[in-house]
Amino acid sequence: MTQTGTLPGASAPLEPAMEDDPTRGSSSSLRRLMGPLVAARGLPRWLILTGAAITGLFVILALFAPWLARYGFNQYTAHGVRFARQAAPSAAHWFGTTVQSEDVFARVIYGARTSIEVVVIALAFSLIIGVPLGLVSGYFGGALDRVLVLINDSIFAFPYLLLAIVIAFLLQGSVGGGVFTAAIAITAVYIPQYFRVVRSSVLSVREEPYVEAARALGARPRTVIRRYVFANVVQSVPVVASLNAADAILTLAGLSFLGIGMDPSVAAEWGYDVSRGVADAQAGFWWTGLFPGLAIILLVTGLTLLGEGINDTVNPVLRRLQTRPVVLPARPEGPGGPAPGSTRPTAVSAPEPLLSLRDLRVWYGTTRGPVRAVDGVSLDIGPGETVGLVGESGCGKSTLGRGLMGLLPTGAVRDGQVLFDGHDLLMSSAADLRRLRGPSIGMIFQEPMTRLDPLMRISEHFRELLRTHLPGISDDAIRQRSLTTLGKMGIPPTRFDQYPHEFSGGMRQRIMIALVLVLEPKLVIADEPTTALDVLVEAQILAILADLKRGFDVSVLLVTHNLAIVAEACDRVAVMYAGRIVEQGPVGAVFAHPDHPYTQELLASTISLATTELHFIPGAPPDLAAPPSGCRFHPRCPHVMPICVSDAPPTAGAADHPVECWLAVPGPRAGSEPSPAGPAS
Amino acid sequence: MVLILLTMVFVLMRVAPGNPIQAALGGHLSHAQLLVRERAAGYDKPLLVQYGEYLRQVFTGRFGTTLTDNRPVSQVIAQNGAATLELSTTAMLVAILVGLPLGMLAGRLRDTWVDTASRLFGIVIYAAPVFFLGLLAQLLFGHILGLLPTSGQASPLTQLDITPHTNILIIDAAIDGRWADIPDLLAHLVLPATTLGLVIAGVMVRLVRVNVIQALKGDYVEAARARGLRERRVVISHALRNALVPIITVTGLQAALLLSGAVLTEDTFNWPGIGNQLLQYLENRDYIAVQGIITMFALVVVAISLLIDFLNAWVDPRVRY
Repeated sequence: MTQTGTLPGASAPLEPAMEDDPTRGSSSSLRRLMGPLVAARGLPRWLILTGAAITGLFVILALFAPWLARYGFNQYTAHGVRFARQAAPSAAHWFGTTVQSEDVFARVIYGARTSIEVVVIALAFSLIIGVPLGLVSGYFGGALDRVLVLINDSIFAFPYLLLAIVIAFLLQGSVGGGVFTAAIAITAVYIPQYFRVVRSSVLSVREEPYVEAARALGARPRTVIRRYVFANVVQSVPVVASLNAADAILTLAGLSFLGIGMDPSVAAEWGYDVSRGVADAQAGFWWTGLFPGLAIILLVTGLTLLGEGINDTVNPVLRRLQTRPVVLPARPEGPGGPAPGSTRPTAVSAPEPLLSLRDLRVWYGTTRGPVRAVDGVSLDIGPGETVGLVGESGCGKSTLGRGLMGLLPTGAVRDGQVLFDGHDLLMSSAADLRRLRGPSIGMIFQEPMTRLDPLMRISEHFRELLRTHLPGISDDAIRQRSLTTLGKMGIPPTRFDQYPHEFSGGMRQRIMIALVLVLEPKLVIADEPTTALDVLVEAQILAILADLKRGFDVSVLLVTHNLAIVAEACDRVAVMYAGRIVEQGPVGAVFAHPDHPYTQELLASTISLATTELHFIPGAPPDLAAPPSGCRFHPRCPHVMPICVSDAPPTAGAADHPVECWLAVPGPRAGSEPSPAGPAS
Repeated sequence: MVLILLTMVFVLMRVAPGNPIQAALGGHLSHAQLLVRERAAGYDKPLLVQYGEYLRQVFTGRFGTTLTDNRPVSQVIAQNGAATLELSTTAMLVAILVGLPLGMLAGRLRDTWVDTASRLFGIVIYAAPVFFLGLLAQLLFGHILGLLPTSGQASPLTQLDITPHTNILIIDAAIDGRWADIPDLLAHLVLPATTLGLVIAGVMVRLVRVNVIQALKGDYVEAARARGLRERRVVISHALRNALVPIITVTGLQAALLLSGAVLTEDTFNWPGIGNQLLQYLENRDYIAVQGIITMFALVVVAISLLIDFLNAWVDPRVRY
């Protein structure tokens, strides 16, 4: 995560490690192919292994059919003796015999050979034709692309079995039935699928910055396709191939069932056997159709499991965050975080705070170990007070806001104390917490574009909200209240019944704010409410936030990385670094006399008209799964001392302006020289 | 798209070896008679003229007369197509009733045993060829339990009792008020429709699940929770409703699967549908009938994709303009 990036959501601290694909940009296709199996855990891994085992079994059956089956697929005599007709399964014929005295077991095994042969030929043809067409069409676009897409869509939409039937039938007329005829008929059906998949992944890869960069640098189209696009496309092919192989076997069975494409005298085929089994079964000879049918189910299931398992692992939508149970360790005594209750109230604000956090911890359990997103935070917000929470991205600011609301993803654990207006939020039941969300605590999000339900009118959003929290409210009252609040946000009543997509980003954010304020909550958590908006809209939203204090008398926790906003809108500011609040106090005091080196660096990094030279803090916030020892800022701190590396700093400074820094502690500093420069290792 | 599909059908039928008249009637008629029939069918004209003729036929709805049994193709489509329509609509209903709730449940209760069980159900049921499932169903409910008829659309007596209006027998019976026939018709419909419906439900479970998972990750879902809405409301009216948009689209794509499955189901259960009829004409090399029926399928595909567009516009305001 970079210094300039923004924190998109509560799960953000987990993302860097998960998204870090070590194979990205490398052209090692094999590693990509094997990647899913290595990366898969839990159910997907089980799916892949089971699927591969079943598929492998059938491939072995197909390869070694002559050795595994005692008889040929259409053999009905052995040693000059004709087998019994329609004999039930026995030691001599494990799956019984057919009406022509053939051994059903042998037919099932040779059927595997036929199916695998057809599928391999069909896959090879569809790959050879479909993939290049998709690559070219997706890469070059234009008229060629449009024509190919249209043709493909048409074939794709057409009932595939009918297409295969007609093609197989025509081929059968000229070259006769057999493996090849069946394979060609199936190929024609599956080319469009490869085409689609390859084309769409080419389109998405083509827009990737590193591919655009390569093109801008003048790499030839062929090089770009080969080096960048193909390597990525290869990833999606195994999914499609295994799922298509499953479909192909079903199609083949369907064709043979109807007696088309495959000449029964040439090879054994499961579908054909089932079709003959229909008549047998009604006469009581259940085995002739049952075993071939089960073989189809098993093989197709195996291939589908394989495809689904790989898809679960590769597809980012389905990839789940790997969570591990995490237990919060007992609190260490000493400066790191004294037990709640024993701590002196940090930063006394108004007499009775509306919200009071004591030593709040929110950790995420991940495969890399616990991520300490919030690690011992104490903070008070008084009634009507606006507190800014600032810090770089990835310091736990958004997690703190969501932790208060009880909106954390699974895998997160919390402890400490959160007192809000007489409720202990950490002790409240989920139902109680839900009733507080809305009427008592509201939340404004960063991205207004996606926060409104695209299928619901603005009016429906309000109606749903007010009905939930104010049971029995009349339609008139709903309308009245909503329009009044919207009016204060500058949204005219004429637009009440419009859909979200009909509004601009700034208007949507004002609607979101209205959805919060209509219930007159006591506390609003605003999570970077202006980051996604342009400067003019940002000014509007800030003006609204400033009005909140006067007009609505609410407390606001404003999460932002923009110090100018804090200076303008907030009463007090809390600076967060690596899961802890390192300094807090009245905005004027903190900005005029920043005590913590991190605050000083943050302030120095802001750009104003007076800026002549850009200042930035070297390095990036630490990985919260393995925070640095001692003071968490020490690797980046310009004033680092030996004690900073070994011991976490205690809380020092004035009661209304506490700081966590050894520099602010009068005692221990004496005698210890500031170390020369740069981070101590 | 219509034009491309029609062209495809035409090309496909013309690359057939030999000429249709000879294929169908060769050996039955003298050489002179064959020539007369060929001229009547227009096969002596250049290909481009034939193509124009074919398009004209499609737009006027007259597909000519079948070679083997001398029925107007349009009549074949009306009669047998109605049976197919009855079967596939009911099957789709079964698929939606089973697949939609199961997929939603699986997506909502992701990674629980409910999810795993639904997914396995979806995978295994889809892996079963529809004709094999049909065979098992026939054995179990027809022969062992003796509960349901396993073949045809109606008992012979019922068949005689009904005067065709729409050719969909259930509707025809209702029109004439012959309520006594309806249980028999429904009983015949149960096995084929359920068999075909379940196979499609297998695909739907998987598609619905993925889309529900995706919708539940939506920003507006988190925002709805932050407003303190009840979980049930968040899931049903926000997440599931939004998941419906892509689900409708992919369900439309299943039409190809539905019609393909219908051909196999009709064959298994002796359902007098258009697929069954098509197979017969293919066997007799009646290319005129085959061409007409395939053309009809192409038009149905286009109609379904139009229907999906309308449905999407109805659900999603962003598509409406």
